[in-house]
Amino acid sequence: MSKAMMAYPDLRHPFEEKAIHPQGSATVLYQGRNVTLSEVGDGNSLLIRPDDLPGINGFVLKPQGACYADMCIPIGESLFVERNGKKWFDLTAFADLLGQPYVADINARVWSFAEIPSRRQDMMVDAMAPDFEVTDREGQVVRMADLKGKKALIVTWSSW
Amino acid sequence: MPVWQRIYEEVNDPNFVILCAAQDTGGEAVAGPIFDAANATYIQVVDPDHIISSAFNFVNVPSAAWVDEEGRIVRIDEGTYAKNHEIYKGDQTISFGTDVYSPALKDWIAKGKDSVHVQSAETVTSNIRQHTPDQLLADASFRLANLFRTHGYSEKAEHYWEKARSLNPDSVNFIRQNLTLTEEGSAGESFIKLRDGYITEGKDYYRPLDIES
Repeated sequence: MSKAMMAYPDLRHPFEEKAIHPQGSATVLYQGRNVTLSEVGDGNSLLIRPDDLPGINGFVLKPQGACYADMCIPIGESLFVERNGKKWFDLTAFADLLGQPYVADINARVWSFAEIPSRRQDMMVDAMAPDFEVTDREGQVVRMADLKGKKALIVTWSSW
Repeated sequence: MPVWQRIYEEVNDPNFVILCAAQDTGGEAVAGPIFDAANATYIQVVDPDHIISSAFNFVNVPSAAWVDEEGRIVRIDEGTYAKNHEIYKGDQTISFGTDVYSPALKDWIAKGKDSVHVQSAETVTSNIRQHTPDQLLADASFRLANLFRTHGYSEKAEHYWEKARSLNPDSVNFIRQNLTLTEEGSAGESFIKLRDGYITEGKDYYRPLDIES
């Protein structure tokens, strides 16, 4: 760590160490969502219970594949893993299938996923605003879709 | 923030909304009082993970997108100052921002697609910054760092912040977020050197504002 960074350690790192999730759990970050999974499969891949998928990224497993809105991604049995008598969905293999980058801290059991590239295609093709999900200061979830029907100024700032 | 609130009140159009996202690393404790002091009534979001910037591929603050009723972006990615600002540093006056943005915004709110400030989908898509897989990965790494920071794991936080910056070295958001947690702060020598370097090299610190005064 550089000298400059160490100059204000209390400012830079003011937080007391605390557990990110209960023992045996895992945490998934995706587009503002912070999801704690109480049960995941062992190993370096992120093996989740199939029912946990919608809460992570909105995809639902259907006979025709993993579906989000009107998009369905065909998936093979290779994304499902039998381990310890349970059937798991390999979320990291699904991300690889989608070309979705992710970074994992295996020791901490935390996976952070970037946006799914195909979900940004509309913005690049016909300038349709990307979907996003944030929580406002009143605790309400706000999505781009909620603003449809109105003109919207989406603006970022910082006190930096 | 008071300026956006003033515009919001002046326009007073139920079919116009502002979503204002504060990227402060300090979160609500830092950004909240600023929103409160402005008596903000628009949608206020504290966004230390830069979710909005990531969605629209912004690389600096303040940046904005205008989105019409159908969800189509009609302007994007400009230095979005609601007015010209002057700050005083020693005997120097530093001026930044512009007074032409707000009238253009109001014109669009009043005239919609007939406003001269509405850009074609072709122009907008060419103005959207393309993000490479590495830059997408940088966003994921940045959020992981923030998670570790808020849980007190400083070494892991530094590791993943550095990974984010190395994957996306052109993100002024990452650079300024980092500088704000250093002794010199976000407007010190490093920042001035960075900004001057962008100007010297002809790089877009912000995309040039394409609005005539």
